[in-house]
Amino acid sequence: MHWGLKMMDRHTNEITDVEAFFADARATPPQVPAALMQRVLEDAEALRPYAGPIGWRGWFRLLGGAPGVGGLVTATCVGIWLGVAPPNVLPDLAGEFLDTTAEFSDESDPGDLTGFGWVLEES
Amino acid sequence: MGPGTTEKALGRACLARPGRVAVSAMHEPDPSFDADAALLARYAQGDPAAARLLATSLTSRLFAHAMRVLGDGMEAEDVVQEAMVRLWRIAPEWRTGEAKVSTWLYRVVANLCTDRLRRRRAVALDDVAEPADPAQSVEQGLQQAARHDALQRALETLPDRQRQAVVLRHIDGLANPEIAVILDVGVEAVESLTARGKRGLAKALASQRDALGFEDDG
Repeated sequence: MHWGLKMMDRHTNEITDVEAFFADARATPPQVPAALMQRVLEDAEALRPYAGPIGWRGWFRLLGGAPGVGGLVTATCVGIWLGVAPPNVLPDLAGEFLDTTAEFSDESDPGDLTGFGWVLEES
Repeated sequence: MGPGTTEKALGRACLARPGRVAVSAMHEPDPSFDADAALLARYAQGDPAAARLLATSLTSRLFAHAMRVLGDGMEAEDVVQEAMVRLWRIAPEWRTGEAKVSTWLYRVVANLCTDRLRRRRAVALDDVAEPADPAQSVEQGLQQAARHDALQRALETLPDRQRQAVVLRHIDGLANPEIAVILDVGVEAVESLTARGKRGLAKALASQRDALGFEDDG
């Protein structure tokens, strides 16, 4: 009985010692040699991928991908159209600058059309 | 499966499984977010500052681990430099995945250490390396140096896998699942390795205990 307790105490002491050694090792890690850090950084610089021009794919991504570029193209087309043939409520800025006017006449008779574009006759 | 193949397999797993992008971590805390992977992505885009940050945060941990496992400063330096070179090379293909960058690196270092330990045994069985940096021993004080040396000597009595598991668990402070990935074994095997390793250390240290004279400060 006494022998068993003694062995248990000894085992507990040994484990406590090990924990103390671990704590010491964690608290005082070995310092990285400056030469090693220097070599690691030199390797990193030598192997660093080249950050070249971003290219058209990069611009495409920067503009928001397909949705962004689609919106930009649509807005540009609408802007050009409004510039060339503005509605009556807007001033004809392009005409004033270029000294030209663009006229469009609508000769269709709206009376011939219904809301669906056909004359529907029912008997 | 050899050390090189396991590391490549983990690398392939990381590359093949794109995960959450780093941006998601800006909105809510994500425990799986890997800051090292975000830095690696910046490095892959040519950012030199990212390389410095990665090297600073990772090299010290890897060097400490390699020092404990190998017990030799020069060899530990070589292993860490080689592991970091592999990281720089894989950077353009790296995608944030299940494995963290640090886990991948620990695995590379563990495999390189295993290779060196095997080679060392093959070359000279009785050639025991000096366990500690003398300059540091002076700074830390004689007793602490003695403790470090004692721990190193005790670690070197353990089988390689037990030594690696004990260092990863009790000195590097990693969790068992991460150690299982690094050593390419199951979590239960890690528990067994660390338990046996700790018992082996306790016995080896007990035999040095009286000679060191630090019974009352542990």
